[in-house]
Amino acid sequence: MEAALPESARGGVAKPSSEADARRRRAFIYGLIAFLLVASLPFLPVNNYIIAAVVRALIFISLGQAWNVVAGIGGLLSLGHGVFLGIGCYTTGILFNQYGIPPWLGVWVGAVLSLLVALVMGSMTLRMRGVFFALATVAASLAMVQISRHFVDLTGGADGLALKFFGNSWWAAQSRTPAPFLYASLAFVTLYYWITRWILNSKLGLEMQAVRDDEVAAAAAGVAVFRTKMLGLLVSAAMTALAAGLYMQFYMAIDPEAAFGLSQAIQLQLPALIGGLGTAWGPIIGGAVMIFLSEVTNWGGTKIGVSGVDILVYGLMLLVVVLYAPKGIVGSVLRNAMKGADR
Amino acid sequence: MNAPAVALEVRNIARNFGGVVALRDVTFSVREGEVIGLIGPNGAGKSTLFEIVSGNIRPSGGRVAYFGRDCTTMASHLRRRAGMCRTFQKVRLFESMTVRQNISVAASQCLPKGRDLGEEVNNILAQMRLEHQAERRPSELTLADRKRVEIGRAIAGHCRLLMLDESLSGLTHDEAEHLIDEIMQLNRARGITVIVVERVLSVLAAMVQRLVVLHNATVIADGTPSEVAHDPVVIEAYLGTKQKALR
Repeated sequence: MEAALPESARGGVAKPSSEADARRRRAFIYGLIAFLLVASLPFLPVNNYIIAAVVRALIFISLGQAWNVVAGIGGLLSLGHGVFLGIGCYTTGILFNQYGIPPWLGVWVGAVLSLLVALVMGSMTLRMRGVFFALATVAASLAMVQISRHFVDLTGGADGLALKFFGNSWWAAQSRTPAPFLYASLAFVTLYYWITRWILNSKLGLEMQAVRDDEVAAAAAGVAVFRTKMLGLLVSAAMTALAAGLYMQFYMAIDPEAAFGLSQAIQLQLPALIGGLGTAWGPIIGGAVMIFLSEVTNWGGTKIGVSGVDILVYGLMLLVVVLYAPKGIVGSVLRNAMKGADR
Repeated sequence: MNAPAVALEVRNIARNFGGVVALRDVTFSVREGEVIGLIGPNGAGKSTLFEIVSGNIRPSGGRVAYFGRDCTTMASHLRRRAGMCRTFQKVRLFESMTVRQNISVAASQCLPKGRDLGEEVNNILAQMRLEHQAERRPSELTLADRKRVEIGRAIAGHCRLLMLDESLSGLTHDEAEHLIDEIMQLNRARGITVIVVERVLSVLAAMVQRLVVLHNATVIADGTPSEVAHDPVVIEAYLGTKQKALR
């Protein structure tokens, strides 16, 4: 078990001061307000479409938080995280449809399978550097698309897999309304936020950041580079697969492209890229901005009879971030406001 | 009285890169507590030797022993944890981290059980005169302070052999003198064996007890600075003239 570092060894992001404390308190209060606002949505006069949009945002935020662990903190540009999303979705779905195993259990099987796949993937790719690692993860994703198309009896082939619907059911983790998913996804985002914070302040987090900054120097400081990368990948894979269980229950269906496709993999990265890589708040802020803008532009697009505007918006947002705010919203736009606070 | 143990033994080390011979039959040893200099012109093989000793490159032949233990194939992070520490020719710090965190990374890996991590980090910060820079990031520091952080990170936790790769280059005369004082202090106070790689003999003459001279991928001299400065082979191959050597 990786221990948390003592404060005297860890230090803050900036010099501890009353100003930093005030910022930290402010960030916590804003977070708490956002949490309470989202949690109270079912009691406010908003329709299910809005609630469903918030659930979509929260699910993508949690997937972005999972990717942020390996890419943001660990510096490993995984373009193949769809593999773990797909394994989580398909495992939950197949176990439920074919064997009657409830998603509450199925999701853990998906996480274990993801860990095993991550172990194999990591053993083969983690000694590669930079772009070669990224390309290897793309290859893994593409292989999974073909595999899921091939085993038609299990996965439904290219048509995909739809969950049997039981209406409002705790056992099947299904609901006719999006409200239960709102609480489940909010719990995921909150839990993943704390996990990210914990990693950032732990010995493992320090090792991952050292490896991200400079592998050779990290080894010269005594860090076991391969082991550190592997641990980061395993944690991220398990987090992705668990969030994938929620994804499957909410969307009720999955197909090879939606699970393992490259566009899905890129979409998983956007919350962290837009919000700020390697920060705890980044994927949350990035995911919220991303879904809000895409919903608004989709709504506008529908009014004028144009579809798929959200994809265009994602592309534009990524372009703007890369050009003008490479450290994301938290790292660039909110840098001064959050200086000293736990980012 | 027993002679000090051999801290590092490099025996018959060879390394080829394709058809290029970077090192051939390099042999020397360093006793515990010694401060030695490794000099040679550009392309002599100093950096390759450094990388081999620190575990980043495998030799084509020969062996490296650390306090009697063969470590030729040992991974670099394990060498560091065993107390074999190094700096880099071009300073390599963790740029996203504060000075304190840079030192904490190494201290957390290498600190013997029972010692307090926070105390060790504070001690290193004090020893390297970095207390006031502790919460700064490397990009905010001068070159001399960056080198100081790198040395602090190198010795944090557990260090018995410190290998400094041109740590004095790029510094002003005063900065270099201060750094030499600090290195000698580490040698005396912590008993750390030191190997200093430099290109210029005059920088090392006052600092080291012994000099190993590399030229054309092999060792051409091994002795006290005075012996080396008067060695005709060294003068012929590297220094040019006796006057130049002693300047």
